[in-house]
Amino acid sequence: MNFKKILPYNRHTFSSFFSFERTPLNVFMLMLTVGLVGFLLYGISVYLQHGHHAYGVTRQHPWGLLIAMYVFFVVSSTGLCIMSSLGHVFNIKAFQIIGKRAIIGAIIAILTGFLVIAFEIGHPVRMVIYNVLTPGLTSAIWWMGTLYGMYLFFIILEFFFLNNGNHKYSKIFGLAGLIVGLAAHSNLGAVFGFLVARPIANGVFFPLYFILSAMVTGSYLLFLIYGWRYKMKFPPEVKKFMVTLAQVLGLLLAILIFFEIWRALTAIYGMMPERGDIAIHMITSKNFLIGEFLLGMLIPFVVIVYSRGRAIKTLVYTSITGMVGIFWMRYDLVHDTQLAPMMPLKIREYSLPPGLVEYTPTSIEWMIAIGAIGVSFMMYYTADKFFNLDHDAKGH
Amino acid sequence: MARYGMALDYKSCINCKACESACKEENGILLGADKHRIWVGVKDIEGIFPDLSISSSGFEPSQCQQCDNAPCQTVCPTNATYYDDNGVVRVNPEQCILCTYCMEACPYDARYIDDRTMTVDKCNFCSDTRLINGETTTACQATCPTKVRIFGDLDDPESEISLVLRARDHHSMKEHLGTKPKLFYLT
Ligand code: SF4
Ligand code: SF4
Repeated sequence: MNFKKILPYNRHTFSSFFSFERTPLNVFMLMLTVGLVGFLLYGISVYLQHGHHAYGVTRQHPWGLLIAMYVFFVVSSTGLCIMSSLGHVFNIKAFQIIGKRAIIGAIIAILTGFLVIAFEIGHPVRMVIYNVLTPGLTSAIWWMGTLYGMYLFFIILEFFFLNNGNHKYSKIFGLAGLIVGLAAHSNLGAVFGFLVARPIANGVFFPLYFILSAMVTGSYLLFLIYGWRYKMKFPPEVKKFMVTLAQVLGLLLAILIFFEIWRALTAIYGMMPERGDIAIHMITSKNFLIGEFLLGMLIPFVVIVYSRGRAIKTLVYTSITGMVGIFWMRYDLVHDTQLAPMMPLKIREYSLPPGLVEYTPTSIEWMIAIGAIGVSFMMYYTADKFFNLDHDAKGH
Repeated sequence: MARYGMALDYKSCINCKACESACKEENGILLGADKHRIWVGVKDIEGIFPDLSISSSGFEPSQCQQCDNAPCQTVCPTNATYYDDNGVVRVNPEQCILCTYCMEACPYDARYIDDRTMTVDKCNFCSDTRLINGETTTACQATCPTKVRIFGDLDDPESEISLVLRARDHHSMKEHLGTKPKLFYLT
């Protein structure tokens, strides 16, 4: 049986695998990737020696940067999956060219997310065993994890069939991946939304917001992936796709800003304790104003509105600020959820006098969190070498 | 088979922390501010001298509320957190994956990480050291010099706790969350 027939791939020797055009940008990316992976490996080695003591998490703030980073990666994955489904599941013409590249991006992002979470969950192997043996069916984490496992399986199959040109099956698995991905991702929102103890997170907002912000993230990533692929010299069909993408992104950002405004207003109105006060703290923080709002929403939105979506080159650059903003969205949602102390009378011996719970990630947490991005770069480089991720003449 | 609960005559608490020491000793809890199963909340005196409000000051001993509808149990992905036959919310360290979702979900900050097993732990009403041997006291209750704590079977109408809960007004913490705590504060 010829494997190449089933899944077409490019053969490589050791040197052809590592050969690339020595442009300054490529060399910079190589150095960046090596640096990031070095950070990751160092961070992991310290974690393996010291466990959670290497992190800044505490009893009152048990979830930290790595949870935020896990969310960041899986949001990216779901976002890419949703955006690519616009083309090959929903047949929107302009999006049909992105199938393979977006899906491989989704696979890479979720694998990186799993990598990060493996260094946050205390017993990842035990997790796999008892997830099956004694499933906690009322737990949003159980559903999220299980559905994400299925999602990964479906999108791998989708990628497989996209590559060997079987459109029927790629569509079926694309649809399955999309539905399961949406379920998994909204469940991740529910991991926070179900917390009755934490009024700032409790409610319907997060499950919906996760899907919406995933689509925004997917759009930013597509700008970056395609900007990188064509080094800003876009062929006409790609240009057309990017302009359409910019317009869709403009709409998504408008909805996101609308969501955020109403979230803030409903949280502050009435100043319910542990909600109103936390919301005010949240929206007046630099993380939110500069990170989330300015970088993540406003700058890209203004560029899109001002250029009517035509400034695609600028949008590639603003997608970098967009992704920085998306990172802060993830960080804040994890951190802000835990700001209110649960037992405010527990002072002196147990914790600091009443106030908001503090958390600062340690350098080890930063190394693992940011270093993981290097792994996704590596995986992308490898996938790009082995598979033909470009669309064919028929636009698939 | 019982349904254990605890009533706290908290206005008698003098913040001597004998209960906390007894708990640490009984259950072999590690040292460190983060590692405590029970604690004494302190209400600071309000007002400016000389107009201080004596009634504002006071102590509020607390611990896991042994919720009948425990959020920590609902969120546990592997059912490591479970209700035992006595209605006590327990953690099976073999099954705990240290996702810390329960710590996130508990409205009472009652859970902590045991660094020896690297799993989450909490008050279990001395199930491992006393209830299992047929005793019906807890270390914190036995040691309390001002007899703040009354421990017993809520399903037994003649138990001391049932009698006192029928006779005296009481409240529980954050009841509005629907957790159905089995810790009762006598007023
Ligand atoms: S107080 Fe917290 S740890 Fe104890 S049963 Fe209730 S939710 Fe669980
Ligand atoms: S940390 Fe352990 S006990 Fe708590 S929810 Fe996770 S698996 Fe369950």
